[in-house]
Amino acid sequence: MKQKTNVILGMILLLASLPSFGQKTENFYNVDQEIYIEGKIQNIVMEPRYKENSPFLIITLEEKDTKKLFTVEISPVEFFDQDFHKGEFLIVTGSLTSSGETGNNIIAREVQSKGETFILRDKHGFPTWRGGKGQMSRKGKRKGTRF
Amino acid sequence: MERRQGTDEQKGEKKRHAFLKKKDIFLFFFLPLLGIIIIFFFLSLINRAFIRNKVEDLVKEQLRATAEILKVNISHFLSDNYSYEEIFRFYAGEENIYYMALLDDQKKILGWHSRFEGYLPLSKKDIGVKDSWTIDSPAGKIFNIFTSFQASDARTYQIYLGYSLESLEEMNIHSRRNFFILFGLIIGIGIIFFFGIYQLQNHYRQKEKEAETERREKERYKEISAFTSGVAHEIKNPLNSLALLFELLAKKMPNEFEQEISSGRSEVQKIARVIDHFSASLKPLDLKKDRISLKGLMADIQGSTFKDDIVIDYEEEGKIVFFADKGLLSQALLNLLQNSLEATNEGEIQVQAKKHKKKILITVKDNGKGMSEEEVQHIFDPFYSNKKDGMGIGLYLTKKIIEAHEGKIECKSRLGRGTSFFIQMPGG
Repeated sequence: MKQKTNVILGMILLLASLPSFGQKTENFYNVDQEIYIEGKIQNIVMEPRYKENSPFLIITLEEKDTKKLFTVEISPVEFFDQDFHKGEFLIVTGSLTSSGETGNNIIAREVQSKGETFILRDKHGFPTWRGGKGQMSRKGKRKGTRF
Repeated sequence: MERRQGTDEQKGEKKRHAFLKKKDIFLFFFLPLLGIIIIFFFLSLINRAFIRNKVEDLVKEQLRATAEILKVNISHFLSDNYSYEEIFRFYAGEENIYYMALLDDQKKILGWHSRFEGYLPLSKKDIGVKDSWTIDSPAGKIFNIFTSFQASDARTYQIYLGYSLESLEEMNIHSRRNFFILFGLIIGIGIIFFFGIYQLQNHYRQKEKEAETERREKERYKEISAFTSGVAHEIKNPLNSLALLFELLAKKMPNEFEQEISSGRSEVQKIARVIDHFSASLKPLDLKKDRISLKGLMADIQGSTFKDDIVIDYEEEGKIVFFADKGLLSQALLNLLQNSLEATNEGEIQVQAKKHKKKILITVKDNGKGMSEEEVQHIFDPFYSNKKDGMGIGLYLTKKIIEAHEGKIECKSRLGRGTSFFIQMPGG
């Protein structure tokens, strides 16, 4: 029984590691894979995404029509000061980095919430929190662009 | 009617000058300045674009060469069985490489590295169409290269690189800044230069206008002189006959008419005197300048003209000696002194003289009855007099003599407080 439990646990871990491996190699903002989704926030977590960087704000979004779940990578936590809550409605424009069995992962470029728009990346996927000229190495608290 | 016509003419003249002024500003100031600015702007633009393109080409050539070296190095790494992660770690410290990716022959990404989180702007629209292109990013322009190579295991790999063109951008910014500084300087210098030219031209035009007015005045004066001389001559002949007739009458008429004849003779003489003064005032002055002492001149006037009971209080600062026509200047000063004497009765007449820079300033001052502002305005006009028997020639002649010496004369007066004449003569 214990052996059976270990096998099941091992399989779960293996399955869990697959998307993370795929994300590692493909987790860049692919301009050819831009999508637009609307849905409700199901979960909010903070987890590391890139090396030598602070944790990222990750939102699980339930698509309005299909009820599919999407993992949306927003930005480093310190950059984004807007409070999101479970159940809130969100519109996301971003790049679909993986889908299907490995999970539906999106890197967000633009997020709309409560009538406000937050630009997180430019059209090529350049992160806004990395600033412009002369601000390349700047770190610290920055706010997203609001309209 | 004539007056109205004159006003209209004046208005027309003013309009004409105003129009010319605007036209001149445009012709002499804005047009050349605008021309220079446009020429500079376009030349600079062409020059900058040429240099920028050349430098950009050079930089891109250099980056392509670097990419070739990189391909060889990566090929060696792959032969030595380095992992993709290890390979990218080697280039992670390269500041100019913003991102790089290794792809297989099917354009599937095998590994990638970026200095910015998730930033790898690789699009199918770009790859396969061209081997290099430039994109704009908030971190500046990025030069992208997509090229393939064969490793020692005979597999074909493709490499995608994004180089920073930050140094090129800095150069462009520097060039742009210099351009604007130079542009501003040219505009500034141009404004000063053309403003100077405009002022000079304006000054020249003003002088030209003054000279033209003076020429017209002289012409008019000449015509009037010729005309009035002719009239005076024509009057003088019958007047001489009339004088002779009175002489004859005086001899032949009984004594009871003596007073009437004498009165008539006196009137004829008066007319003759008026004509003489009038003719004298019209004659152009022929100056014969000598070195004269003002003090000596004043002493001569005092001795020859005024009685002992009339003393002119003369003061001078320093010895005043200058070149002038003694006779004419003496006449001019005498006219002023007589005018003051008539105004004062038993008052005082002061004459002060001093040198100031290269001028001689003479003031003739009395404490007599003074004049009104209107009288002062016309005091130097010919045939204007506020005296009962005055002919209005004296002060006119005085002004004429002073101006013939390139001097100036002014009059200031207040009713009941006296009158002052200020003469300014060259030659201090």
